[in-house]
Amino acid sequence: MDLYVAALGFALVSASVIAIAAVGFTMQFGITNLINLAYGVVMITSAYVAYALNQLGVTIWAGLAAGAVCGAVLSYLLNRFLYAPFQRKGTSHIGMVIISLAASLMLTNVVLAIVGPTSVSYTQDPGPTIRIGAMVLTTVQVLIIGIAVLLMLVIHALLTLTRLGKAMRATAANPSLARSCGIPTGRVIDGVWLVTGALCGLAGTVAAMNSDSFAVSNGAGYLITILAAAVLGGAGQPYGAMLGAVLIGVMTELSAAAISPEYKEVVAFGVLVLVMVLRPQGLLAKVGALAPAG
Amino acid sequence: MSAGPAPRPLLEASAIHRHFEGLRAVDGVSIDVLPGRVTGLIGPNGAGKSTFLAVLAGTLPASAGSIVFDGEDITSLPPYQRARRGLVRTFQLPSEFARLTVLENLLVAAPGNRGDSLIGALRGRRYWIGDERRLVERARGLLARLGMAAKESDYAGTLSGGQKRLVEIMRALMLQPRLLLLDEPMAGVHPAIVGEIAAYLEALRDEGITILMVEHELQVVDRLCDPVVVMAQGRVIGRGDMAALRQQPEIVDAYLVG
Amino acid sequence: MTYYLTTLAVYAGVDMIACLALSLQFGTSGIVNFSFIVFQAAGAYTAAVLSLPPDTANGGFQQYILGLEAPFPLPWIGGAVVGGLLALPVGLVVLRRLRSDYQAIAMLVLTVIANTVITNARPFLNGAAGLSLVPAPLAAQLDTGAVGYQYLYVAITAACVVLVFLIAQRIVDSPYGRTLRAMREHEVAAGALGKHVVALKMTIFVVGGVIAGLSGAILVGFIGLWAPATWLYPETIVLFAALIVGGRGNNVGAILGAVLVPIGFFEATRFIPPFGPPGLIPALEWVAIGSLIIGFLWWRPAGVLPEPRHVFPPTSPLGTIPARGRR
Repeated sequence: MDLYVAALGFALVSASVIAIAAVGFTMQFGITNLINLAYGVVMITSAYVAYALNQLGVTIWAGLAAGAVCGAVLSYLLNRFLYAPFQRKGTSHIGMVIISLAASLMLTNVVLAIVGPTSVSYTQDPGPTIRIGAMVLTTVQVLIIGIAVLLMLVIHALLTLTRLGKAMRATAANPSLARSCGIPTGRVIDGVWLVTGALCGLAGTVAAMNSDSFAVSNGAGYLITILAAAVLGGAGQPYGAMLGAVLIGVMTELSAAAISPEYKEVVAFGVLVLVMVLRPQGLLAKVGALAPAG
Repeated sequence: MSAGPAPRPLLEASAIHRHFEGLRAVDGVSIDVLPGRVTGLIGPNGAGKSTFLAVLAGTLPASAGSIVFDGEDITSLPPYQRARRGLVRTFQLPSEFARLTVLENLLVAAPGNRGDSLIGALRGRRYWIGDERRLVERARGLLARLGMAAKESDYAGTLSGGQKRLVEIMRALMLQPRLLLLDEPMAGVHPAIVGEIAAYLEALRDEGITILMVEHELQVVDRLCDPVVVMAQGRVIGRGDMAALRQQPEIVDAYLVG
Repeated sequence: MTYYLTTLAVYAGVDMIACLALSLQFGTSGIVNFSFIVFQAAGAYTAAVLSLPPDTANGGFQQYILGLEAPFPLPWIGGAVVGGLLALPVGLVVLRRLRSDYQAIAMLVLTVIANTVITNARPFLNGAAGLSLVPAPLAAQLDTGAVGYQYLYVAITAACVVLVFLIAQRIVDSPYGRTLRAMREHEVAAGALGKHVVALKMTIFVVGGVIAGLSGAILVGFIGLWAPATWLYPETIVLFAALIVGGRGNNVGAILGAVLVPIGFFEATRFIPPFGPPGLIPALEWVAIGSLIIGFLWWRPAGVLPEPRHVFPPTSPLGTIPARGRR
C-alpha cells in the first residue's frame, strides 16, 4: 500500500510537469487551431539549453529562465516563419499536421546533430527529502510542484484579468469576429506563441530536472503524454489540460508502480485512444475532435 | 384546387427537437411535405431552419421526434441510407468535389454503376464500361440542358458560386431523388444567376420532383413555393401561402425581432 | 557491384509497393495513415515467424512465437493477410468519427507505442534485438548465396510491383476510385449522396494494409532480419515525402517518388564522404527530408506528377465512346 501512496507522490510531480506542458500545448491548439507536433522537441531543446547553463554552474532559477526564453523564442520563430505562412495560404488541418511533423523531424535532428544521441543528467543537489506520510519527495520535486501551481495561477490570471488574456479567449472563440472588433489578432497570436512557448520551455527544463537522465529521444514520449492529457481534458481547454495532467500523472505513476515503468507511455496512449473513442471532446469540451474535417 | 382525397405526405416530420449544449435549435417542429410541391421554409436568422433540414437529412441526429419518409421510419438512419432511399440534400456552403471535373461530380453521385465497388474495379474496365457510358450520357444530358456542357472537363473547384450551386443540384438529381432538400440554394449566388436557378427549379417542379427549400430570398420563395412554412426561434409560427402569411402581423414581427 | 545493384533493385521494388499502397490510402482516399510502417512491420514479422524454425533452434538465442518453417510463398501470403487483419481494429478505432488531424495523430502515436511494446515484450518477437537468421524463400531448394538467386529475387519482386501497380491502377481509374476521390474532397457531401464513407475508408485501409504487409514480407525475406529500429515512425515520413515529391493520387507519381526519395536521396547521400561526428550525416539527411516536404508543400503541393484529370471522349454519333483519353 505504501508503494502506491509513494507513487501518488510521484504522480503529483509528474502531473505538475505534464500540466505546465499540456496547458501550453492546448492553448496553442485552442487559439491557433494548430496541433504543434514540434512541441516535444522544443521542450527538449530548452532542456538542453538549461543543461548547458547548468554545466557552467548557474543557479537553478537561471536555468529555468533560460529554458523559458529558449522555448518562447523557438516557438515564436516556428510560428512566424513556418506555421503562419502556411495557414495564411489556406492549408488544410491535415496539411498543417504534416508540416508540423516535418518541422519536428528537422528540429529533432538539428539538435541531435549538435548534442549527439547520448543522454545527459542535470548536476543538481536534490536537497533534503521531504516526507508527507508515505510520500517521499526531494526538495527539487516539491519545488517543481510549487512552480506548476504558481504557473497555473499565473495563466489563470492572464486569461481572466489581463487584456491580452481576454483577447486570447476572444480569438480562440471566433477569430474573424475578434478581428472585426478591433483585436489585433496578429499580435495576439504572437503573444500566444511567446507565452505558450515559455511554458513549453519551462516544462522541458522541469521534466529534465525530474528525470535521472534525458536525451533527444525523450521528445516523442513527452509529446504522447501531453497529447493524452490535452485530449483527455478537452482540446483547447487550459483548465481541462490541468485536469487531464493530474489524471494522466496519477494513472501513469500508479501503473508504473503496479506493472513496470517502461509502459508509462503505453498507458498514456491507451488513455488517449479510449478518450478518442468514447468521448473525443474530452472532459471539458469546447471545439471537439468531432468537428468537420478541414 | 381539385377535389379528391389529399395525397399522403411524402415526408412527415413529427415533434422534432434538436438540442445541443443547452441551445434549443429546433424546439418541437412538425412539418408534412406533400409530393409534387415545392415547400418553402423561411424565417429570420437563427430560427433553426438549416438545423431542421440537417436533422431531416440525417447530418444531425434528432434529440427527439420522428421522421417518416414514404411510410418508412427513417429517424435513426444515417445520411447515406436516407440518400439511397431518395432523400437527398444540398448544402448551404459550396460542397462541390473540387478536384473532380464537373462531369465526374455528376457521375460519382449516380448509383447503379457496377464499377463502384472494390470487386467491380478489380474486374477491370470491360466489366463496368457499359454502365459508365450510360451514366455519362445521362449526365451530359443534364449539363447540356443547363448550358454547362462546355465545362464538363473543368475542375469543379474553378467554377463560380452560381455554377457550383447548379452542379450540386444536378449532382443530387443523378440520384433520381424523390425529395430534394435544398439548403439556401441562392446563398452566395450572383443575382443574375438566381433567376436561372429558379427557372430550373420550376422546371423540376413541373416534372414532378418534390422539393423542400430553406431560403432567404423571398422573391424566389414567392415564385416557387407553395406552401410556405415560417419558423422562428426553433418553432413553426405560420403555414400557408406567401400572400396570406404577409398579412399576419406576428409573422412580420418575427422577421423584425428575430 | 552486382550485389549492390540487386540489393538496390529489391529495396526499390519494396519501396514502390509501399508507396503505391500509401498512395491509395493518402493520395486517392485522403486517409493520412501515419501508422503505415506498422503494417509493413507486421507483414515482415509475420513472414519471419512463419519461415523461421521454432525459437529453440540455432542455440535458442532468440525468443519468438510460432516458428513454423513454412515454405514459400506461405510466409508472404501470411504477411499480407496479417497486414490486412491488423488494419481492422486500427481502422475501426481511428477512422470512424474523428476529424482528420486527430486521426493522423492517433496513428502516429500508435506507431511509437507499437514500437515500444514490441521492444519491451521480449518473448513475443524477441524485443529490441529483433529477429535474425530469417530463412530466405526457397532456401531449402536453392543456393541463396549465388548470384542467380539474387536475380531471381529481383524478378519476383518486380512481378509483385507489376501486380500491385495493376491493382492500384484498376482501383484509381474506376468509378470506385472516383468515389474514393470524392470522399477525399468532401466527406460529408459524399455521404449525403449515398456513399458509405466508413465502409469505403475501412476497405481501402485494409487493402493498403495487405499490400504493406506484402512489402514487409518481401523485404524481410531478402535481408533476413527485422528489428524495432527498422520501423521507427520517421520511416512513414519518408514514404509521405516520396508521395509529396512524386505526386499524390498518381500511381506513376508514387513509383517516381519511391525512386527519388527513399532510393535516390538516401543512395545519393551514401556517396558523400563522411564528415563531422558520426551520426551527423543521417541527422542532416532527416533535415533534408523535412525540407523537401515543406518545400514541395509550399511551391508544388501536387508533386512532380500531379493527379491526372479524367476526361471523357465525346459520344460518337453511333452512340459509343472510344477508348478513354487522359489529359
